Amino acid sequence: MAQHILNAVALGSVYLVFALGMALAWSTIGILNFAHGATFMFSAFTAHVVTQHVALPMPAVVLVAVAAGALIATLTQVLAFGPIMRRATDHRSAELRILIGGIGVAAIPLAIAERVTASAPFGFRGSTYQAQVFEIAGLRMTTTVLVIVVAGIGIGVGVWRWLATSRQGLALRAIGVDSETASLMGVDRSTLALGTMATAGALAGLAGALLTFQLGAIAPASGDQLLIKAFAIVVLGGLGSMGGVIVGAFVLAGAETFVLAMNQGTWVDAVSFGLIFAVLLLRPQGLFGRKEVRRT
Amino acid sequence: MRVPHRWRRLRRATACALVAVAAVSMSGCDAAQGGIATEEGIPKEIKLLGVRDQTGPVAYAGIGGARGGKLAIAEINRSGFLGDGVKLTIKEIDTAGSIETASAEMAQATADRTVHAIMGPTQGQQAATVAPMVERAQVPTIFTQAGSDGVVINDYTFRATAPMASYYNLATEYLADKGLGDVSVLYNATYPTFAEIGEGSFPKQADRHGLDIVSSTPVQSTTQDFTTPVRSIAGEDPDAVVMLLTEPQSVTALTQLRQAGYDGQVMGTSVQGGGNLKEAGKHGEGVIYPTDFSPALTGEKARDFVAAFQQRFGRKPDVYAAEGYDGMWWLARAIKASGSASREGIKRGLQQVAKEGFDGVMGELTFEGNDMRVPGVLVRWNGTSEELVSGGAS
Amino acid sequence: MIDWYFSHIVLIQSTLTTLLLALSVQVPLRAGVFSFAGVGCYGIGGYIAAIGMVHYGLSTATAILLAAVAGGVVAYALGLLIQRLTGLYLAMATVAFTLIISVLVVNGGDLTGGAAGLFGALGMLDTGHLLAVAAVVVAALTFTELGPLGRRVEAVREDPELASAMGINVARYRRATFAVSGVLGGLAGSMTVLLRSTVTPDDINFHLVVLALTIIIVGGSRSWIGALVGTVIFVWMPEMLAFVGEWEDVVYGVLVAAAAVYLPGGVTGAVVDGYRTYRRKRRETADSPPDAPPPQPAAAAVGGDS
Repeated sequence: MAQHILNAVALGSVYLVFALGMALAWSTIGILNFAHGATFMFSAFTAHVVTQHVALPMPAVVLVAVAAGALIATLTQVLAFGPIMRRATDHRSAELRILIGGIGVAAIPLAIAERVTASAPFGFRGSTYQAQVFEIAGLRMTTTVLVIVVAGIGIGVGVWRWLATSRQGLALRAIGVDSETASLMGVDRSTLALGTMATAGALAGLAGALLTFQLGAIAPASGDQLLIKAFAIVVLGGLGSMGGVIVGAFVLAGAETFVLAMNQGTWVDAVSFGLIFAVLLLRPQGLFGRKEVRRT
Repeated sequence: MRVPHRWRRLRRATACALVAVAAVSMSGCDAAQGGIATEEGIPKEIKLLGVRDQTGPVAYAGIGGARGGKLAIAEINRSGFLGDGVKLTIKEIDTAGSIETASAEMAQATADRTVHAIMGPTQGQQAATVAPMVERAQVPTIFTQAGSDGVVINDYTFRATAPMASYYNLATEYLADKGLGDVSVLYNATYPTFAEIGEGSFPKQADRHGLDIVSSTPVQSTTQDFTTPVRSIAGEDPDAVVMLLTEPQSVTALTQLRQAGYDGQVMGTSVQGGGNLKEAGKHGEGVIYPTDFSPALTGEKARDFVAAFQQRFGRKPDVYAAEGYDGMWWLARAIKASGSASREGIKRGLQQVAKEGFDGVMGELTFEGNDMRVPGVLVRWNGTSEELVSGGAS
Repeated sequence: MIDWYFSHIVLIQSTLTTLLLALSVQVPLRAGVFSFAGVGCYGIGGYIAAIGMVHYGLSTATAILLAAVAGGVVAYALGLLIQRLTGLYLAMATVAFTLIISVLVVNGGDLTGGAAGLFGALGMLDTGHLLAVAAVVVAALTFTELGPLGRRVEAVREDPELASAMGINVARYRRATFAVSGVLGGLAGSMTVLLRSTVTPDDINFHLVVLALTIIIVGGSRSWIGALVGTVIFVWMPEMLAFVGEWEDVVYGVLVAAAAVYLPGGVTGAVVDGYRTYRRKRRETADSPPDAPPPQPAAAAVGGDS
């Protein structure tokens, strides 16, 4: 039992690291970035290519992926989302076009990675890092899991508190609630948007590196599968609430682990999406969502 | 009378449209010139089409098949196998991972009367969708991969890939031989080939060979982390684990299985071929799996093929290339056997060759109807390449 | 022309079925309901048609009719259940619904054929049938886009509070869009499957949701014409892009992203805007005398013996 809980926490941390960046951009500057999965994948892919030539230790691999993720997200913002937001007349159509823009952008790194790897899984074999297995009180875990749990919860709580207490966090939240009033109050929307997207991309890169260490390898299509789960986690937690994202990630992971532990592996998606469906029926604004912040 | 200008515009538009239609229908006539694929006998040029993925997530199968086919064509043409100056030519058309594109391209290919035969889509559902079409159009079509049901369903559909289940008994026999009696199964139940083996053929074979299935754990294609299922498997500590998963899933499951403390034998599938286990590093070493072809095969034909392939493409052939190669030789033998490269002639020939079987790079090939069977070979991944374990005696 | 038609028949047919799928998402979106239930009903319809033909030997027409009705009923019931949800919460709930359908058919045993799906469900459908269905659907939708009904739908989308203050039963309109999208999804799914002859759980996936949304946004989200334009673009794009060879997907991504940036109203919006600008320019240059249509002399109307 304790082992299952530990596994659920590990899986939840994996989801959390991935969902954090997406949630950050979505709940502050209103960008639901469908290229987040592709950014994640391509950051890991970049680090993979680098480790094929240089044997890097784990922190360096993570750094490469983080830099790659930030770069991809910044480019996405400058070339696609920024122009869409500048040209948009109303918020609603901008949001849909940002979705589509993300879908378009996502196709590009995916196609490149598929072409280069012939869709074969890739990982960081060239890295000097070797996961160590250890046992505490009969619970078996690896150093990778430890890193992910600490990183996931640490960064998750950090981002949550930062948004809640810092001045920039306040400005970002102000944009999330009412962007026009916020810019009248002197918030520079486009600079903040660029910074937020770069941060979100860096988080995607971090997730890419950590997950690839945890899973051994990912494939070009791996990002897509996580994207829908992250979408579910953010909605489950409630849009606009970073605390909700943390809870959402662990709830989803807990449900999935439970179904797998019952050896009903083919029902995992049905149970997790059924759970989300049920939560939304009871709380239409998600677990911790504010009712006022409605985006359509 | 003065025509209102709106009408004038319409008339101009109509004229343009008519010109465009004429241009299109004329180009249609052009395409119909050249050799007609319904005439009996062997013409100087025999045109083939490859309609399969060259881009997208499973492009590797289509690309491998195309390369193997090209190598075979070069040998067939060079050796004058079909008579002096008779040339096979092939053009590849990309189905881009889409069922609609596959059936659209197939409709065009079958409508082109200069096409003698088609190398069909490698992806299962694309193949199942085009299978009824090739019967209606009566164009013999050889598929590689496309392992699902509903592909080889009529006289014009042929398949040069043996279903994985048909040679998975090599794995079962090996486990029985080595006395690895307690087996846990971990399989992707949303992937048809693996579901078939995991739920159908493997339990039956295991029963026959006296193996005991300790547990059977289904997962989905969307499952990425295996910590929970492998933990229970490691707890059971079986003699062997049968792992039926996709490429990235296999790497993760193996790594996490070893980290969970399991150090017994892992039995995989041909998905592990082509270096897909490299990323598992030391955790992948020692995994055994049955496959229809391995560059480690020692038969003369296989050795020549590997050498020729490496020379032409700068890399070792994978199973897809071997299937494409043997599939193309099946076609060439068919034309020779029936003495005709017409569509009907090729169909008759393919059936005739299938009845007799032939020697290919995958070993002694036999057929069940229009569907290929191979002896199969059991290989071990040593961390950098495949080693022969058993089978493939030739 | 005939040759061209026969060699492109699959693309022509799949244009028509994909149009129905796109409409199944566009109809609710036009009323401000962000629902992808139509895609789930596409799966339901596809499986019902295949099961009907393979297991029960239904005729093509019966199978399609059954699929459409089932799609409508299921979507309407879903609409009742989740009518409190709005925006992306609604989108997520309907995506969840769609993905659950896919899991159900994997675990459906012999009835659904499990992971391998069903095959051999080849319906007697030709382009004429598809055109007829599409024409009826489009005609019915045109009716909802024009006149007072069209304005009411617009009010429900733009300002539900105002709409209900004006006496429009907003909830009823929303539920109705669910039913309509279910019927359209059921039609699209059943006809696609009966043309392909196979269906697998893999056919009901998130990419279908993405495709439908992309079609509508790139084509234009306000009228069926936009959906048609988008459908034509995305169904025919692989054919048109074949010449770029191995980098087809990269070009595809660039085009979609560029459309999102530069075509705020989709292709149809851009064409309409372009036409308006053109007209205005023409009018401005031609404002001075000669070409302006002379005011009809009253005499012409009176002295009417030609």
